[in-house]
This record gives sequence, structure tokens and C-alpha cells, in this order.
Amino acid sequence: MNENESQLLEGLRALAAMEPRQASPRVEQTLRATFRARAERRRRAVWGSAAAGFVAIAAAIVVLFLAPLPWHRNLAAPPAASELPSDANNVAGVQYAVVRTDDLAASFYPLPEADELPPLETSLVVRVQLPVSSLELMGFPVSEEAGAEPVQAEVLLGQDGLARGVRLIQ
Amino acid sequence: MLESPSQPSDDDLLRLTSAGDERAFLEFYRRHQGAVFRFALQMSGKAEIAEEVTQDVFMVVMSAPKQFDPKRGSAGAYLYGIARNLVLRCLEREKPYLTVLDDPDHEYAGRLAGEQDIAGELAYAERIESLRKAVLALPPAYREVVVLCDLHELDYAEAAGVLGCAIGTIRSRLHRARALLMEKMRAAERCAV
Repeated sequence: MNENESQLLEGLRALAAMEPRQASPRVEQTLRATFRARAERRRRAVWGSAAAGFVAIAAAIVVLFLAPLPWHRNLAAPPAASELPSDANNVAGVQYAVVRTDDLAASFYPLPEADELPPLETSLVVRVQLPVSSLELMGFPVSEEAGAEPVQAEVLLGQDGLARGVRLIQ
Repeated sequence: MLESPSQPSDDDLLRLTSAGDERAFLEFYRRHQGAVFRFALQMSGKAEIAEEVTQDVFMVVMSAPKQFDPKRGSAGAYLYGIARNLVLRCLEREKPYLTVLDDPDHEYAGRLAGEQDIAGELAYAERIESLRKAVLALPPAYREVVVLCDLHELDYAEAAGVLGCAIGTIRSRLHRARALLMEKMRAAERCAV
């Protein structure tokens, strides 16, 4: 390295030392404001997505549970178990479906406490097997001989999950 | 742009930034803004351009903090790379209006003049000011090498990473740039005499 080049490098070092070393505080303020605005937009987007997801799930539940099922259209003559469609809901051996209220309640025998419950808005019909003796608790007259025999029945549940009525299939 | 062992790494700060941590972003900004600002100022010669570029560089970081890949180089090199592209774009945009030899307020010469030996200091300040103008008058491809290697003291490998070229290219451009600067300085001295 010759003398001229050494002087040049020395001059460049001096130049580097003399230059302003910081951007003005205005730049940081602008960036901070932008960062906050973006964070706020992102938070809103996340909450929006969550709300949309919740609404979608709620809508799916409503559609699934409140849509009329074909095997419950004829309320006057409920089908036998063998006539139920293969896609009917079945949980732990209990078949069930949610149906429109309409005149459904009229085809069930009202349970003793049902009068004190809120009016029926939507309903769920659950098909169950019960010992005959348990019907006595619901207010049915039962002979002692029938005792432990099982009987198929449908229970009408209200929107609050409480039983409103029962009807016997067999 | 060095990190001490007790400080969080640049990678950590950017990870936190991407999760919406404002403090991490500001710490990253404060750690690197000086170098980015000086680079933009030394490349453009204009404080307004340097501020605009500094702001835009960190806007890019804010928008896509995950784009930084520590395997490909340091955060400093990453930021220099963004700043370089933005400066070149600004210079291109302002080409018709830019007079790089402008210093109406004699800002740098004034800052260099000390209280003692005013005549000598002033002569020295003027030499440095001439050098600054000579750097700004270099073609951008040579100027950026001088700014990175001589003013910011990056080694050839780091500069090659920032500019995306071979180390040999950096070496030859720097050699040529220094020759041009010495030529300009000699011409300036002849004019002064």
C-alpha cells in the first residue's frame, strides 16, 4: 500500500467517524405507530376468524339438529325400529332424532312434571328400552306381572334437555 | 452490528417480532438503524433519502420478519442488502434532481472545524469534505464497495454476501474505486492550488 492509498484510507476513516450516526427519532415513531396498527389489525383478524368459525359450527349444529328427518314426518304413526333409516343417529344403542315441534307433543303422554317446564320450542325424540316397572314412575298404570320386562318407548325431550312426554312403541 | 452474549440474538428478536412483540422489534431497530442510516446516507448523500430508506428497510422487516434466514448470513448483511436495493431505487428515481456535490449548509466541513489551529483544521475538513464528494461521485457499483468495506469495515466475504457477487469482484472493484478516489482527490488539490 503506497502513501497516497494510506492517506486515502485515513481520510475515509475520518469521513466515517464524522457522518451522523442515527436516523431521527421521527423514523422510530413512525415505525412504532405502524407496528401497533398492524398488530391491532392482526388481532381483529384473529378474532374475526374465531367468530366466523364459531358461527359456522353453531349453524352446522342448528342445521343438523333442527332439520326435519324423513322418518318423523308421520307423527301419528311412528315407525318401528326396523323402519328407521340406516343414517339415523345412534348413540350407545339409543336412537334419537331432533324434530320440529309442531303437533309432536300431542302424540306423547305428558309426564307429571312437564306442565311446570317452559313451553316446547324444539324437541328431541329418543328411542329407548325401559323396564316396564319404570313406566309406573312416569305415571303409567302398570300391572305387577309385567315387572322387569323390557319395553320400547320414545321420550320427547325439550330444548332444555328435560323430558316432556313418553310414548310406547310396543 | 454485533450482539453481546447476554442480549437476545437477532434471530430471536425477529421471531418475537413475527409474534407481534413490539419491544423486540424496537430493540432490533435500535440495534441496526445506525448502520442502515449511515449506509444510505453515504450512498445517497442526502439525509432525507437516508431516513426514507431506513424507514422502508424496517417496514420490510416488520412485514416479513421470517424472511431473514440466519444460515444465509448475518442480520446486518440482510439489512444492508435491502437498504442497497432501496437506495439504488431512490437514486434512480431522483437522478434528474440529484446533485451529489451539493452541501449548501457546509454541514460536514463545519462539523470538522475545531477551535484550535483553525486554518489547519479547516484545510483538513475541506479535504475530508472533498473526499465525501468524491465518494458520492463514484458510480454506484464502486461507491457501494467503498462504503461497505472502507466506511463500514465489512470484510470482503461479508460485502460479497451483501452485494451478491464473488469476493474477487469485491476486491477488484475496491481497487478500482480507490484509484478513482485518489485521482479525484489529486484533481481537487490541483484546483485548490
